[in-house]
Amino acid sequence: MNLFENIRIALEALWGNRLRSFLALLGIVIGVFAVTALVSLGEMATAGITQNLESVTSRTVYVEPNYHSGFDVKRLDDDDVRALSRLPVDILPEVMLNGEYEKKPGDRSSITLIGTPGNAPATDHTIKLASGRYFTVSEANAGAATAILNDRAVTEIFGTHDPLGKRIKLVYTGGIRCEVIVIGTTEPLPMSFGASPAEVMLPTPFLWRTHPDAHLGKYEFFVLRLHGDADIKAVQASAERLLATRHSKDSLQFFNAESLKSALGNITIILQILLGAIASLSLLVGGIGIMNIMLVSVTERTREIGLRKALGATSEQIRAQFLIEAVVLTLLGGVFGVLLAAGVLWLVSVTVPFMHVFRLNPTTVILALSVSAFVGLFFGVWPAARAAKLDPIESLRYE
Amino acid sequence: MPSLVEIRGVTKVYRTGSAQRTVEVHALRGVDVDIAAGEFVAIMGPSGSGKSTLMHIVGLLDTPSDGSYRLAETEVAGLTEKQLALVRNRRIGFVFQAFFLLPRETALRNVELPLVYRGLSPADRRQRATAALEAVGLADRMTHLPNELSGGQKQRVAIARALVQEPDILLADEPTGNLDTRASDEVLALFDALHVDGKTIILVTHEPDVGARARRIIHMRDGSVE
Repeated sequence: MNLFENIRIALEALWGNRLRSFLALLGIVIGVFAVTALVSLGEMATAGITQNLESVTSRTVYVEPNYHSGFDVKRLDDDDVRALSRLPVDILPEVMLNGEYEKKPGDRSSITLIGTPGNAPATDHTIKLASGRYFTVSEANAGAATAILNDRAVTEIFGTHDPLGKRIKLVYTGGIRCEVIVIGTTEPLPMSFGASPAEVMLPTPFLWRTHPDAHLGKYEFFVLRLHGDADIKAVQASAERLLATRHSKDSLQFFNAESLKSALGNITIILQILLGAIASLSLLVGGIGIMNIMLVSVTERTREIGLRKALGATSEQIRAQFLIEAVVLTLLGGVFGVLLAAGVLWLVSVTVPFMHVFRLNPTTVILALSVSAFVGLFFGVWPAARAAKLDPIESLRYE
Repeated sequence: MPSLVEIRGVTKVYRTGSAQRTVEVHALRGVDVDIAAGEFVAIMGPSGSGKSTLMHIVGLLDTPSDGSYRLAETEVAGLTEKQLALVRNRRIGFVFQAFFLLPRETALRNVELPLVYRGLSPADRRQRATAALEAVGLADRMTHLPNELSGGQKQRVAIARALVQEPDILLADEPTGNLDTRASDEVLALFDALHVDGKTIILVTHEPDVGARARRIIHMRDGSVE
């Protein structure tokens, strides 16, 4: 009586009750599908986002004052730029301020104002023009009243109309007003999912000159774009060291995409564990369904069990037969569940933009199949024990 | 020559009822039976006479409460459940009133069944099962399912399933109980032929004309041999 023989008997018995087997299977299919799909979707989201992050920011270090370190924040300035000038990076010092724009007299909405140097897309590759042009270095230095809108700002202010050449009325704190002319628009950020706030990019000197909250000659943050294959950790360490002499300890914060990525990875793992745990509940329910159907099957086949024992089957052989039947059932459910998950994941990968990387980790598949086999083993133990315990004489008399 | 079946003072007591009030049923009250190899014996008696219990004990489906049962000179009283299964598989061929064929398996697969538990290779099983079906005259029904066979054919498949074990004893429990006269004759003729071949056959029945086919009759009444 080998394993192969048992599997054959199991498949025959399951096939004999096709509809019932299928229905019992369904719980496991759904459970395995849920676990596999949710875990893999998490992986796909991470993979997609990480890939976008890499294309956008992996070669970037961000520096900004730590506003929580105390009241007296020492902002970044051109001396800091010079201090970093020997690093293998392009430096993009930026200003960030709040403001409002006026649609009609009396109708104002808030908007984020970002001061950048001229020709910023050449330095910061996350800035991609959708239309028009960026203000030049000389326009920027002159503090020209030129503005670039991000996609959100375009839709908020102009809807579907072409914003190029139009004027926007900006209103600052204290009611100061000024007008800027739109000369360009940017593409949405790959990871923003339309959720980024409305932003206007303006020449930094323009904001210094017009905005009452601006600090002349000061910046809110630096974007450091790495050259060639410079090592991001080494560059960040050098930048920290170079600026340490000019700023007190812990008054500056440094970010890079690596730390973002690991933070994202942690969130994903937590999410995966949570989702996996919730999905496992459906496996538990499925397992109870299997136990139920196996108990029914044992009762129905009492005479078969009696006969097998009369013909020389030992209790262990009967136990093995029903255990294997339960495991075959749940394993089949597992296979169907994984296939279903693979199909759905593929569909997601071709339809959802930020999950375009199809991921079905072999570990996930092996885990899903092992868990489904284990569910069969666990929930099959009791029915199989009942079958094994049956008295042959009683069983043969069973009607 | 020692007996194949040697039963001495075997009793069987069943306890039924609740924990507070157990009722003892004495199914066998000290039975002595000897059956030699090659014999064709009928065990007869009314229902409740203990003939089924005796058959179960002879067939190792049940163990005596007391007394000794030696099968082929081996005491079976102390055997474990697992050992009993092994001895059943090697030495006892059962034929039941209700045939007990697996409905989803072909005649051939049904006959192979005891050999599955013997651990024979599929080719070996197939060969022996084919020979057994040929021996009962069903060479042309091997791939049929039980519901495609007549009652007499089903019982012949069941006999083939017993023969394939090459058992010491062929144990038939009311083998004609579910059959019409013609099919009964068919099956009993097969037993006659097997007896002539030298097989040991024990037939349990309450029908006198069936019992009359045997060379010796053991009459049972109230748990004892008359």
